[in-house]
Amino acid sequence: MLRLLAWIAALVAGGALGLGSALSMAGLWPDTRTLAFGHVDVDGWRGDFATGSEAADPYTRARVARHGLLALAKSEAVYLTRNTDSAGQRLSEDCTYRLTGGAMPAGWWSVTLYDAQSMLPANTDGALSIDASRMGAGAWEAVIAPERPADAAHWISSRAAGSLDLTLRLYMPEPALLQAPTRTLAAPRIERISCEGAA
Amino acid sequence: MRRWLGPLAAMLVVAASTHAAALHFAPAFIMSRAMDALAARGVALHRFTTPARITPQTQTVVRSSPDLYYALCRYDLSNPGVQLSVGMGDWPDYQSLSFFAAQTDNFATIRGTGRAVAVRLLPPGSAPEAGAIVSPTAKGVILIRRLAPSAERFAAAAAAGKADRCRLQWKDRIGAPGQD
Repeated sequence: MLRLLAWIAALVAGGALGLGSALSMAGLWPDTRTLAFGHVDVDGWRGDFATGSEAADPYTRARVARHGLLALAKSEAVYLTRNTDSAGQRLSEDCTYRLTGGAMPAGWWSVTLYDAQSMLPANTDGALSIDASRMGAGAWEAVIAPERPADAAHWISSRAAGSLDLTLRLYMPEPALLQAPTRTLAAPRIERISCEGAA
Repeated sequence: MRRWLGPLAAMLVVAASTHAAALHFAPAFIMSRAMDALAARGVALHRFTTPARITPQTQTVVRSSPDLYYALCRYDLSNPGVQLSVGMGDWPDYQSLSFFAAQTDNFATIRGTGRAVAVRLLPPGSAPEAGAIVSPTAKGVILIRRLAPSAERFAAAAAAGKADRCRLQWKDRIGAPGQD
């Protein structure tokens, strides 16, 4: 009897261990990790250039299916995501940030804010992204905050986002970006200005 | 001690097998659920659905961009005698026609900035043909993206979308399945 119970316990434990480890390593469980992963890391903006392609490893495929479904392959677009500011602190709706950058090696780019479920946060501000057509060809600056700042020309609303992240889309990427992203891309910087409740 | 070796080995084998199976089936499972959700939200089979502008209230797929116009067409090529006639209307700015298999692979993308595009999609196992793409799976989804970062550009993209086409037809006969 004891022997039978040992076999049953071993099979159940094996199944749980295998399922739990797969979901955890793929970032599917617990459901708090986002798309800020991958082998490409440009100043904290992370992505996997195998996204969308048959070359993606099974962990990448599973995580992209959950957090980046219908993403394009790298020849058409690359996606980089970060969930920390430039000091390494997690991005939060409770804080205000200055986002700065310049020209990028792609035909078009955008930065979009998402919540921890990889969805646009449930607000009606109509200000969840910036893109190349609005920011011009040179240096640019935007503010990320839950309320529209009085003195900012460009605003990304974090209202109702909670814990948030930013996705940088680079459409029609230049070949040099795909070959040497860290040398080619001057990624946007995210500087924390203030936090609610902070002294 | 030796009597525990059997259960221990079984646990490791089951763990490895479950790990691999979960990773293998997860993308297709998630894609299947997403397609069901799209169908429930009105995304048609074999027809590009006129989209609403992406907002927190209209989004159906994770990480959609509010700066892009997305038109979706679900397809089912389970019948080997059919093909899908796909067209993307003219648009002066960036646009692309991308094809996704049931396990989420982006198996083809055609960029069409400043021009219209027409192509046929063939069932899995079909011989390659000029002007045609062979789908690796019977079911999947086709997505048109157009750069449209303002309400005005989105309205213009929607007008251009009236020329988009996603139509199931018999490969060697005139007419669509179910119409003969």
